[in-house]
Amino acid sequence: MLDNGVKTGSVKAGGVKAGGAQADGVKETLDYHALNAMLNLYDADGRIRFDADRMAARQYFLQHVNQNTVFFHNLDEKLRYLVDEGYYEPEVLDQYSKNFQRAIWDAAYARKFRFPTFLGAFKYYTSYTLKTRDGQRFLERYEDRVVMVALTLARGDEALAMRFMEEILSGRFQPATPTFLNAGKQSRGELISCFLLRLEDNMESIGRSINSALQLSKRGGGVALMLTNLREAGAPIKGIENQSSGVIPVMKLLEDSFSYANQLGARQGAGAVYLNAHHPDILRFLDTKRENADEKIRIKTLSLGVVIPDITFELAKKNEDMYLFSPHDVQRIYGVPFSEISVTEKYAEMVDDKRIKKKKINARAFFQTLAEIQFESGYPYIMFEDTVNRANPVHGRITMSNLCSEILQVNEASEFNEDLSYAHLGTDISCNLGSLNIAATMDGPDFGATVEAAIRALTAVSEMSAIDSVPSIRRGNDEAHAVGLGQMNLHGFLAREHIHYGSPEGIEFTSVYFAAVAYHAIRASNLLAREKGQVFKDFDKSKYADGTFFDKYTDRDWLPTLPDVARVFGDVALPTREDWAALKADVMTHGLYNRNLQAVPPTGSISYINNSTSSIHPIVSKIEIRKEGKIGRVYYPAAFMSNENLEYYRDAYEIGPEAIIDTYAAATEHVDQGLSLTLFFPAEATTRDINRAQIHAWKKGIKTIYYIRLRQTALEGTEVQGCVSCTL
Amino acid sequence: MRTVARAVNWNRLEDEKDLEVWNRLTVNFWLPEKVPLSNDVQSWATLRPEERELTIRVFTGLTLLDTIQNTVGAPSMMPDAITPHEEAVLSNIAFMEAVHARSYSSIFSTLCLTKEVDEAFRWSEENPHLQAKARLILEEYKAGSDPLKRKIASVFLESFLFYSGFYLPMYWSSRAKLTNTADLIRLIIRDEAVHGYYIGYKYQRALEKLDAARQAELKDFTFALIFDLYDIEQRYTAELYDGIGLTEDVKAFLHYNANKALQNLGYEALFPPQVCEVNPAIMAALSPDSENHDFFSGSGSSYVIGKAVATEDEDWDF
Repeated sequence: MLDNGVKTGSVKAGGVKAGGAQADGVKETLDYHALNAMLNLYDADGRIRFDADRMAARQYFLQHVNQNTVFFHNLDEKLRYLVDEGYYEPEVLDQYSKNFQRAIWDAAYARKFRFPTFLGAFKYYTSYTLKTRDGQRFLERYEDRVVMVALTLARGDEALAMRFMEEILSGRFQPATPTFLNAGKQSRGELISCFLLRLEDNMESIGRSINSALQLSKRGGGVALMLTNLREAGAPIKGIENQSSGVIPVMKLLEDSFSYANQLGARQGAGAVYLNAHHPDILRFLDTKRENADEKIRIKTLSLGVVIPDITFELAKKNEDMYLFSPHDVQRIYGVPFSEISVTEKYAEMVDDKRIKKKKINARAFFQTLAEIQFESGYPYIMFEDTVNRANPVHGRITMSNLCSEILQVNEASEFNEDLSYAHLGTDISCNLGSLNIAATMDGPDFGATVEAAIRALTAVSEMSAIDSVPSIRRGNDEAHAVGLGQMNLHGFLAREHIHYGSPEGIEFTSVYFAAVAYHAIRASNLLAREKGQVFKDFDKSKYADGTFFDKYTDRDWLPTLPDVARVFGDVALPTREDWAALKADVMTHGLYNRNLQAVPPTGSISYINNSTSSIHPIVSKIEIRKEGKIGRVYYPAAFMSNENLEYYRDAYEIGPEAIIDTYAAATEHVDQGLSLTLFFPAEATTRDINRAQIHAWKKGIKTIYYIRLRQTALEGTEVQGCVSCTL
Repeated sequence: MRTVARAVNWNRLEDEKDLEVWNRLTVNFWLPEKVPLSNDVQSWATLRPEERELTIRVFTGLTLLDTIQNTVGAPSMMPDAITPHEEAVLSNIAFMEAVHARSYSSIFSTLCLTKEVDEAFRWSEENPHLQAKARLILEEYKAGSDPLKRKIASVFLESFLFYSGFYLPMYWSSRAKLTNTADLIRLIIRDEAVHGYYIGYKYQRALEKLDAARQAELKDFTFALIFDLYDIEQRYTAELYDGIGLTEDVKAFLHYNANKALQNLGYEALFPPQVCEVNPAIMAALSPDSENHDFFSGSGSSYVIGKAVATEDEDWDF
């Protein structure tokens, strides 16, 4: 069964010229890194050398993987060894008969899975597959990992396990890294992708949060923390003025905590902090990412996010000053933390209230500063607070997002006793993510069944997780069973179908596709509620329960109108108004099991394994240079690209922010949480260009903005010759 | 007689290239503190002792070159400047060279023990090849020497001599080691590429105005110098890289960069393409453009200081 993962064939001989590149063909002595790097260098005829990358994948198996894979005679021997040696969780396998185990493994191997790119194979074997404890030899092949994930998530249900295996191995559904990496392994981190914690304005909450950040980093997954409620620098402590040091020292503590804790060395701890734009420390907060920031306040690895309400835009429009309010005073006057107040709603009132200490900065200057920092560092992320809360279908207030700015859920403050025990256990947020490969899902036999399987798999992760080290997370998960189904390979799919990203067809496809996903996700969650006889907490206070959520689906169609869009959907069954009306009735009667269903993450690593373009944004380059701590610099060709269809692979910098925002706006409409939206600019752009894009995004109802990325073209005369990613 | 002190007026440009390069250099300003070098600590520990020693030595060699360029090279060219703007650009170059020299120390203080670093600095003072190339370059930088020969030496330093050192961090990063250090080195490469290009450009402009005999003399000098430097450089390379078996590969890289340096000076290539077949992994690693890194383990080398432009009323149209 452990055949090598590649078809062996003769390796073409010939000379290669790097840089100038005059000869064609590929040297047989080259190692796989060199072969892979040739993707980034045109051949003599100016064509991209896809064959070099395929050969790199093949050589990687021949030179490295096959030689370092532990050999077993058969499945039983292998499983016995992996369980006895403490690599696999016996509880996972014990739920199934030996016969079924053989059947599912046979079915998986019969599919003859092959990695189409070097990076896919390299990433999988470097970061995901099970290795011997010394890290030297491989114990799993791709099929083994997929089957173990399926067996773990199906929890003994044979038919469901088979279904999960099919969906994952066919590439239609790809669980997020923590699930795909960890499921079924004995020593492992959590299956959950990410966590969001609130901080309140007291030392107990700060101390508890640092502990939580350590605990969660140790178990894997990114952690975001909301700092909006912390009193500002110079605020009084116990009534004595000028005592508090504000948010920066807390950020420093968090940054160091994340560097310290990592998941068995598998993933660096990673964290983000969010602050409201009207917090008095906002400019100091941003300055931590300045190129010339002092070492004492510079923040290198912590990600920043700013929460911006509508009023900030209104003030900027009128070119007025924006007031920043002391969270300490706001909490004293209103009796609730600053984050629970809508700044837009209470702005005038708070400006007039002289009990609230405030200072002011020019609103336009604030936006400009934001863009300056984004130029220098890519940060901060932005969450449009009022847009997010208007679109939120469930009860409660959304005050922050996460490390990738796609999670948007409600939370509730905790209160602590002096010994750090809970006086009131609030709720914090966790999210289980997984993404569909749009191309594979569209090609699949049953669109609705794929979405349903994905929701079931994600729900299983939620049900199997109990983060006891952070009780507020545990409570949040138990009550909400929130999941986040994402999407990837939009650009790859559109290009394969000869549709330009950002064209009217591309945008309409996005809208119709996401409406259909929303329908099936809600349908699946409704089925789960019926099967389990349980709905998420406060379902009765949601817009699903009163039916208003469904108005926009029963008032109009979300079906293709353009011929090219109708063509690509072919015979995929799309939900009609009548289908939506029936679903509305079912949901109002039986409820939903999951409080949140969709969130579109940026999909880095998993899209390489899955041979997809990342998320729903355009490719960053025809040949992407991927750099990570664990894999170094590797080159990745966009999905389905060949030398013949290059015109459909315009990159994000060529496409420009408007078309990307319009595509995301079409998807946002049907996604209950958020979408990681990165904007791309040439380095010649100005802060004004970034501000204009932000205004456009806010106007179009975008919920969050993730990174700002820049591309600097080499000065003429200094460029690297013949390089594909260096656009000239 | 009194000389008139003149203020530099950037609104009266004599050579557009000065402003173009000035803008590029200022936009590219960076400090080593922006790179999370400490993320490489674990990776550093995976290198074998001899690989670590090699890496430290390579970086001390680079530190020496940056120090020369900072304290002697760039300042010595300032009196030769044709335009006041050129002087301003050179002062920026001098400063960034100081930043580069400083950066290697950041790498050392993050990754290495003081003893190892002290040993490597002593090695750099005693290594005959390193000292020989420093001497050759410094000879041309001396007061009273030919301004154009100074430029030639300077281009060779910026576009050729650095690269035997740059090879190693690029090699490591292509093997998933010291990737943040490689980011920092890529920032340095980004700067050096512009420096070598600019000084070479100024050389070519000056050369155009000379008579044929003088042009021929300078060309002879150029090729004589590159031969001398190459001779030293290949010994230096062999001494460093023989231990890990990469000498041949580095040499191909040297040939490629020697040609590039000559190209910056406006001359034809010295080495034929067959001996310039650089390992594609190194070649491709040189481009900082549009790299897609995961932000959680590095900061990348593509961010710049942006141009601030205030928004206007029309932008806030909603």
